[in-house]
Amino acid sequence: MFASATPWLLATEAAEESEGIDLLLPESSELIAGIIAFAIIFFFAWKWVFPTITKTLESRQAAIKAGFEAAEAAKVEAESLKNDYQAQLAQAREEAGRIVEEARQAGESVRAEVVARADVEAAAIKERATADMSGERDRVAASLRREVADLSLDVAEKVVGSSLDRASQQALVDRYIDELGGLGS
Amino acid sequence: MESVILAASECDVSEEIICAPKDVLELFFFEDALFTIGGFNFTRTVFLIFLAMFIVLGLLYFGLRKGEKVPSKFAAAIESLVTFVKEDIAIGIIGPEGVKYAPYLLAVFMFVIVGNLFEVTPLINFPITSRMAIPLFISLVTWVIFVFVGFKKNGISYLTGLIWPKSVPIALRWLVGIIEFVSTFLLRPVTLAVRLFANLVAGHLMLTLLLASGWIFISSVGDIGARAIIGLPWFVFGLGIYLFEIVVAVLQAYIITLLSAVYVQTSVHPEH
Repeated sequence: MFASATPWLLATEAAEESEGIDLLLPESSELIAGIIAFAIIFFFAWKWVFPTITKTLESRQAAIKAGFEAAEAAKVEAESLKNDYQAQLAQAREEAGRIVEEARQAGESVRAEVVARADVEAAAIKERATADMSGERDRVAASLRREVADLSLDVAEKVVGSSLDRASQQALVDRYIDELGGLGS
Repeated sequence: MESVILAASECDVSEEIICAPKDVLELFFFEDALFTIGGFNFTRTVFLIFLAMFIVLGLLYFGLRKGEKVPSKFAAAIESLVTFVKEDIAIGIIGPEGVKYAPYLLAVFMFVIVGNLFEVTPLINFPITSRMAIPLFISLVTWVIFVFVGFKKNGISYLTGLIWPKSVPIALRWLVGIIEFVSTFLLRPVTLAVRLFANLVAGHLMLTLLLASGWIFISSVGDIGARAIIGLPWFVFGLGIYLFEIVVAVLQAYIITLLSAVYVQTSVHPEH
């Protein structure tokens, strides 16, 4: 089934003679190639790979550390800014409260003043009105009294047919009216 | 693979139930030199060894070249690979002084993992670690390192501690001493090499036979009709093994690196 002169493997002559032990013995060309290749990889790993990766990892570590420190600093700064803002806010609130309170007080005092002045004015007006009214009443009363006395005298003169002592009669009538007024009031 | 598929005409699909070469060792020899420089045969395997080297150098170089603060996905993967070998294998196994061995362990890991993955790389389909040269060389270097470090760190007590272990009862001491001596100095390099080599040989053999048989049977459906169905289970099984071999390739690269570190560790701290 396997013709010997076939391309089963290109190296037929040598392969036919190969024994199992040949598999265990290194081929010299492969050994030399392997040694060269391995040595090159080893020197590359030794002289380049590890120094390079160490440098990379160190710089990365430094960068990460710096990043964390910056973040920490930013956090602290933000914290202090926040505190500042809160303090300012509290101050502003206090200020506002104070202003409102002052305004309220000012309003209060203005109101009180206005009310007081209005009271005063009202009282003055009332007083003046009262004074006017009482003056008028006195005037009316006096006029009325004169009128009544005159009329009474006229009536009395007509009754007695002679003129009476006008002045003393007048005083009499007045006294009578006063007594009436005293009773009435 | 090409040469295997060429064999389709030589596989008697009407009689056989699997296509295999008379001598499976043929699957591992590329005797014809692509070219020869002063008696040095530049075979396909030699070419693949250098290809693996360039891939390793390329991965490391392009992964680490920029060294950005925020690495790309590729750079992050290569960085974590290098860091894994350094932190988890070198320092994790050997201890703080293991950092000295990290370049060696990284070279072993990268070279072997790429060499292993050639087994499942389309168009290459040949693990260079299934040839004894590379596993043997790496094992011998590891052996030289751990023996040298053992004597350097502990002087002659490295040897006497192994062949005359104080912690063992005196009656058994000589026996344990012989076992320790043989296992440390003779078996370790052999097992380290053979473990990698044999795994990759077996994997390559299975993949080649199963996938080639599957392909050959299915593609000769015109000649053999219903018998071509024989190829189907081979092909499906081969694909299953293919996935399994990816795991094996990574695992074996990890194991040879890990064991190299463990062997160095036992020389640095022989009491453990």
